[in-house]
Amino acid sequence: MLDFHLETVEKVVVAFIRDAVYKNSFKNGIVGVSGGIDSAVVLALTQRALGSEHTFGLLMPYKLSSPASLSDGKKICRQLRVSHDVVDISPSIDAYFDCFPAHKPMLIGNKCARERMSVLYDFSARKHALVIGTSNKSELLIGYSTIFGDSAAAFFPIGDLYKTQVFQLARCLGIPGEIIAKKPSADLWENQTDEGEIGITYKELDEILYLMVDCRLRLNAIEAAGYSKTTIEKVNRMIMNSQYKRTMPPVCKLLTRTVGIDFRYFRDWNK
Amino acid sequence: MKIRGIQFSPLLGNIAKNMDFHTEEIRKATIENINLIIFPELSISGYQLKDIVYDVTLTPDDEIIKHLKTLSKNIDILVGAPYEEIPGIIYNCAFYFSKGEILHIHRKVQLPNFGMFEEQMIFKAGDTFRSFQVGEFTMGILICREILFPTIAYLYYLQNVDFLIGISNSPYRGLTKEGMASLKLWERLGEVFAVNYSQNYVFVNRSGFEDGIGFGGGSFFAQAGQGIIKKSPYFEDYTLDFEIDQESVRRARIGGNYLRDEKPTVILNELKRLLNA
Repeated sequence: MLDFHLETVEKVVVAFIRDAVYKNSFKNGIVGVSGGIDSAVVLALTQRALGSEHTFGLLMPYKLSSPASLSDGKKICRQLRVSHDVVDISPSIDAYFDCFPAHKPMLIGNKCARERMSVLYDFSARKHALVIGTSNKSELLIGYSTIFGDSAAAFFPIGDLYKTQVFQLARCLGIPGEIIAKKPSADLWENQTDEGEIGITYKELDEILYLMVDCRLRLNAIEAAGYSKTTIEKVNRMIMNSQYKRTMPPVCKLLTRTVGIDFRYFRDWNK
Repeated sequence: MKIRGIQFSPLLGNIAKNMDFHTEEIRKATIENINLIIFPELSISGYQLKDIVYDVTLTPDDEIIKHLKTLSKNIDILVGAPYEEIPGIIYNCAFYFSKGEILHIHRKVQLPNFGMFEEQMIFKAGDTFRSFQVGEFTMGILICREILFPTIAYLYYLQNVDFLIGISNSPYRGLTKEGMASLKLWERLGEVFAVNYSQNYVFVNRSGFEDGIGFGGGSFFAQAGQGIIKKSPYFEDYTLDFEIDQESVRRARIGGNYLRDEKPTVILNELKRLLNA
């Protein structure tokens, strides 16, 4: 259902990255490299678009991150001949939680995501490199991200590819087997997996999302295609409940033309 | 007649830089003895105009129009631009310049307004499809979505158009195992226009990106009676050169005899019956 022409995607996304970076008067791109598949794919596409000398990887482990994440992250940077920096975010995260202890893991996860965003944008200014986001379509649609954390970037090159499609693209791009083989994870605690947290496999999630969003099937038609009603309704709820993450905050309209409502311009305006 | 289609990426709302590009390409084509140079839809302004349109639209006394008239003294020029013909009323237009004057303006009738398209938010729809004469050739212009309604090309066919020009800003979409589904759509219709309507047909599409929306290029020339014989690459900038002559149209009309056997009166009567039903 979600097979696609890999060469077309590579060609288009590489051209898109180049266009978006150059149009905004940058030559360089910086990617937060987690050791997972999404950032590995985005780094590889960025390297193809801008060249190794204009692509930077930033690895930002926390003390609870798996050691394999750091070593896999370094490996993909080395493979692509991309220079990288490692910034351990543990001291700044721990300093905060020493004052305001976390009573649930989600608080640590969100804080880490926002700290990484903050470091990425600082390095963006230091290296004059545009921050390139690593979100995929599955997580954008269900809101499996931290607002103003990993959802913050200049653009999302793989934001219209479902997670299962990212896996296909990763193989085509020569991403190391160990990165492709490991279970997707936010890497907040031992044995944490995305699928465990979301409660649905990516295969089933992506198929339902594809039928719902891309094919515009009604919910009962998706059920008739063989998916459980409970799961379909859950996915539908996740999409609706996370719309706030996909739009700018509403502005209270008072005057004639209002930002976010009827002040309508593309980002590429006059670029 | 030597013709050149320019597949390129206009900058959104940056009229000055886009005009520099047009001027350079027109000058180059003039030196190379091209008779007609064709730019894509909204080539002067870019596509996703939204509120930009009110700041960049051309007006009847516009310096850009005067400039293009001057450039057209030795070469025919087709450009796309928003045109505020009456204050406050803007059309999505194709301008055909020839011998220092505007020879023809086509105002886009089919304005897409769904999904990522919002043309009816900013443009007034035109209401005519008129052919025009350039030397020995009868020409007609289609703008983007109009190409997808074969009944519109049919109207030109009944006007004995022998060179049909389609200009477009088509965003690609619909990723499949075979590639981008939307790109093939234009080619299928090109074959129909060339073979079944016995016309020479050119499709000039833009390339590049506006925010995340990519435009597919894939401009082509379809020869009357033959179908697509020359094609630009997808996604990239490209210059498509080709020639048209009257003979290919004559051969196609004799070969298929579609135009001779066409029965517009029957079609008209049936349309009346359907509309009155």
